[in-house]
Amino acid sequence: MKSKILLPILAITLLSLTLVGCNTSSKVQENKLQIKIAEQYGLAYAPLQIMKEKQLLESKLPGIEVSWRQLGNTTAIREAMLAGELDVGFMAIPPFLIGWDKGMEWKIACGLSTSPIGLVVNKESIQSIADFTPEDRIALPQPGSIQHILLAMAADKLWGDPKRLDNQLVTLDHPDGMNALLAGSEISAHFTTPPYLFMELEEPGIHQILDGKEVMGEDFTFAVGVTTEKFYEKQPAVYEAFLEALAEAIKFMEGNPTETVNILAKAYQMDEAELANYLERSDTTYGLEVQGVMEFADFMQKYGLIKGQPANLKEVIWDGK
Amino acid sequence: MNNESYHKLKTRLFWMIAILAVWELTAQSGVFPTAIFPSLLIIARALGDSVVSGEIIIQTGFSLALILQGLLISLLAAIMISSLAISNKMVDGLVDTLVAIAHPLPGIALLPLIIIWFGTDTLSILVIIVHSVIWPLILNMMTGFRSIPTIYKEVGLNLGLNRFRIIKDILIPASLPYVLSGLRIGWARAWRALISAEMIFGAVGAKGGLGWYIFKQRVFMDTPGLFAGLFVIVLIGIIVEDFFFAVIEERTIKKWGMS
Repeated sequence: MKSKILLPILAITLLSLTLVGCNTSSKVQENKLQIKIAEQYGLAYAPLQIMKEKQLLESKLPGIEVSWRQLGNTTAIREAMLAGELDVGFMAIPPFLIGWDKGMEWKIACGLSTSPIGLVVNKESIQSIADFTPEDRIALPQPGSIQHILLAMAADKLWGDPKRLDNQLVTLDHPDGMNALLAGSEISAHFTTPPYLFMELEEPGIHQILDGKEVMGEDFTFAVGVTTEKFYEKQPAVYEAFLEALAEAIKFMEGNPTETVNILAKAYQMDEAELANYLERSDTTYGLEVQGVMEFADFMQKYGLIKGQPANLKEVIWDGK
Repeated sequence: MNNESYHKLKTRLFWMIAILAVWELTAQSGVFPTAIFPSLLIIARALGDSVVSGEIIIQTGFSLALILQGLLISLLAAIMISSLAISNKMVDGLVDTLVAIAHPLPGIALLPLIIIWFGTDTLSILVIIVHSVIWPLILNMMTGFRSIPTIYKEVGLNLGLNRFRIIKDILIPASLPYVLSGLRIGWARAWRALISAEMIFGAVGAKGGLGWYIFKQRVFMDTPGLFAGLFVIVLIGIIVEDFFFAVIEERTIKKWGMS
């Protein structure tokens, strides 16, 4: 009888050991200078490409180990930061606020860019969101994304009901959303950013009915850089150097447009002329200041997407005033 | 319930409790933040909340209704296709080729195509379910049909049965063990395909099924709610495997002395 019990106990112990093992694997030597940065795909993240290619951070802090990851969506970045796999992640303000509200120990370090965000439709009969019939489906990256919040804001303005269009949303990432819109299936609208926004608008019969800035009524930062508390407190030198390198990258883009297009075209595997055209056309601007956090937080709390609300910018921005 | 299945149930229960205990101990030890590894109580509360609000029940019902439709369509189609193939050499070759092409393709890999062809409605999810179920089902049915001794069919012909009755009264019952194991594989594949498809598509509107429920918890960082969704998936899997299929086997092939 005894051995019958012993074996299961052994099995449980082994199982527990493997679970503990999951945790220790992510602990690398702490004293070595290193930074792990995650970005997403799109023109809004261009300064990060420059920073990577020109090795701006490496030249500030010789010997630092910089690792870059490109992740498909904000949720994946948030989860990786929660697991301690990343130090810095770039995302839109609403997903940051959802994490902040759930008690994640992170704050905004810097802004990165403003970007056009547009709702485009493939039906002539739709000229504004008021023309949507209950059969029309609107594709956007995911609930709680900046696109979703902007749509809810627009619905709130028009009908006083932010959830009015929520039952017509379909979650698709940008490429799938573009395919669905152009295929003319039941998806009649797509809320997206460049380059997808421009590619869609070039197709016949596609037009834009809503613009992010128009909904907000003012400029807002599209992508912000968020860092964990652990990184901010334990690696102040790297944190400072990172911000300086980013500022340098933005300055480089202003001063060297040709080389910028060169680097970006290679990174995004796009045609140089096409990319130069996109950069010129879009009112994507780059800069480190952060705009619109409180506006988003106000609205998201009203909508019920977050429970708490930052009392001041200090609670959500490192070195905030 | 006989002695053997009672014993099986006992060890199953023992291990479940053991795994839950390890879970709770790990959660309580504080090695991981609660946002990554919530305790059982927190998960149970999240599950309770979404049961009370009705959300998880509606979503589960939606998923189950979809998968049932998919299984039924696949079963009927598989019976038809296999019957045709068994009675015609050319059709047999075609079906064989189709199975060889389609069987190794995961439904999720077809998703981008399915979105373009069928849109993002429930129809698309149904297509993915049928795709996941139908090929293993046909494969098993054909093996089942082929394994039937020719003498069974000859007896049927001697009795003057027509082709339809030979299929219905001889081929299908005689190949039931194969059909059942085909359905088991089909169910497992369909259930996975369904949850993954729901997670990727998102839903049209409020109803998106269990996969959508989990995805939503993920997006809004509700880890306990996420585990609640996973719990329901496991629970349904166990119920279907251990009870539903077991009962069907008990009532048919075991009763008929076929296994």
